[in-house]
Amino acid sequence: MTHLVLDKVSVHYDGQPAVERVSIDVAKHDFVVLVGRSGCGKTSLLNVAAGLVEPVRGSATIGGRPITAPGSDRAVVFQNDALFPWLTARENVAFALRLRGALPAERTRRADELLRLVKLDGAGDKHIWELSGGMRQRVGLARALAAEPQFLLLDEPLGALDALTRERMQTTLLDLWTASHVGVLMVTHGIEEALVLATRIVVLAPGPGRVVRTFETGFSRRYAAGEPIRAIKADPAFAASRGELTDAIFEGEAA
Amino acid sequence: MTVSSYTERPIANTGAKADETDALSVPWSRPRPKRGRVSARVVSAVTILAVLAAWALSARLQLVSPVFLPSPAAVWIKFIAVVRDGFVDATLVQHIVASLGRVFAALVAAVIVGVPVGLAIGTSVIGRGIFDPLLEFLRPIPPLAYLPLVIIWFGIGEPSKILVIAIAMLAPVALSTASGVRGVSQERVNAARSLGATRAQVIRHVILPSALPSILTGLRIALGAGWSTLVAAELVAATRGLGFMIQSAAQFLVTDVVVMGILVIAAIAFVLEFIIRRLERALVPWAGRE
Repeated sequence: MTHLVLDKVSVHYDGQPAVERVSIDVAKHDFVVLVGRSGCGKTSLLNVAAGLVEPVRGSATIGGRPITAPGSDRAVVFQNDALFPWLTARENVAFALRLRGALPAERTRRADELLRLVKLDGAGDKHIWELSGGMRQRVGLARALAAEPQFLLLDEPLGALDALTRERMQTTLLDLWTASHVGVLMVTHGIEEALVLATRIVVLAPGPGRVVRTFETGFSRRYAAGEPIRAIKADPAFAASRGELTDAIFEGEAA
Repeated sequence: MTVSSYTERPIANTGAKADETDALSVPWSRPRPKRGRVSARVVSAVTILAVLAAWALSARLQLVSPVFLPSPAAVWIKFIAVVRDGFVDATLVQHIVASLGRVFAALVAAVIVGVPVGLAIGTSVIGRGIFDPLLEFLRPIPPLAYLPLVIIWFGIGEPSKILVIAIAMLAPVALSTASGVRGVSQERVNAARSLGATRAQVIRHVILPSALPSILTGLRIALGAGWSTLVAAELVAATRGLGFMIQSAAQFLVTDVVVMGILVIAAIAFVLEFIIRRLERALVPWAGRE
């Protein structure tokens, strides 16, 4: 099985250490979430995995091959959707297919399929500026999936959304993850979001960024097995994990 | 009528009061109606009419000799005459077509050269190093200054005229393209790269469309700059064109044709500006709405 592996990765900006010796292993079918306070290097690590930032030490590999540049095997979704406003929603989704020279009919068919998957059927002809924040983020996800990546790298994809939209998008993300068989590496600030989505949570601490704890969690698998999200969140085990995770994030800070 | 409007007054008053409370409790709910204000458009229209009137009056009172200042009516009559019979062996339409032809040929040339130069400036340090000083050198030179050199190098034919206009257009096109390219969001570029775009595909599919609003602004400025270079470009060995028409008329003190030519040049510049703005709205409807 393909793994996305960061091995003892250090990242420096202008000589200042931002991340020191962090190792993360994402298998396909994993949903790994990075959490931590600001400045803990979450986004830096994601950018290393994306091939946008080069580590000063350590290695980043996918399926054993070193990551040297961005590639469609690791599609990135950013907090600000980074959609192309001169294209319709459908054309945005079909972007990766167009880059590969797919024929228009095939592009449309596949794009509509993906729009249906993110529950945006019928919005294909809409312009980006006609869509709400949540809809835009769905287009961004569909666009990333169109590249048929092995891994999705999500940089606070729900960060700019309002609380209600955010909650609905969490289940959409889980549905996509189970339907598309990709490994996910995601960065978030949301503690509950991490618990709902992750199969593994990596807690980072700042100054410079390092791993303080790793949690294996099972709530997202329970959702995938059919349990309703409300029931999962109401489970006392969920609340307990939430407390534990919060403690881990603020560990070492004066109480 | 007056009486009935008076009887309605209490109602109108309550309305005004309700309005005030609204404004206090939710100040953003409704913009206050602007009463007793004049729009800039009205002021502009009045200004134009005032200038025309002053012109007509001073011509009528013969404050200035008609050789120097023909009356608006004389200019209008000349306009009709030149449209119908022409001036210096060409009708007004033929002069306009000749001038527009040169300006658009120059625009095409300026785009073919300027957009890639702007891309180079915006995307690579070496490109910026090469082209920035050249453009900064070229930009402030008035067309009349390099006209003689262009004629020495390229002769007095049509290419020289087009080149003079194109040089004036190059800097606005290239610099607007460059600023558009530099303004492209890094996230957008990164997203495209992570979707598998090569460097060339990023430029073609992300950077160029992102910079398009800025490029179109550059075209608009360039058209203005090129159009205002027209008279200089048609100084030498032209047989047609608005600039040529004005100069020929000036040599024979046919002042009404000179004034008419100036007004036609201004009118066409106005129309061009209008068309390009329409084009901008049609081509980049997303600008300002992202």
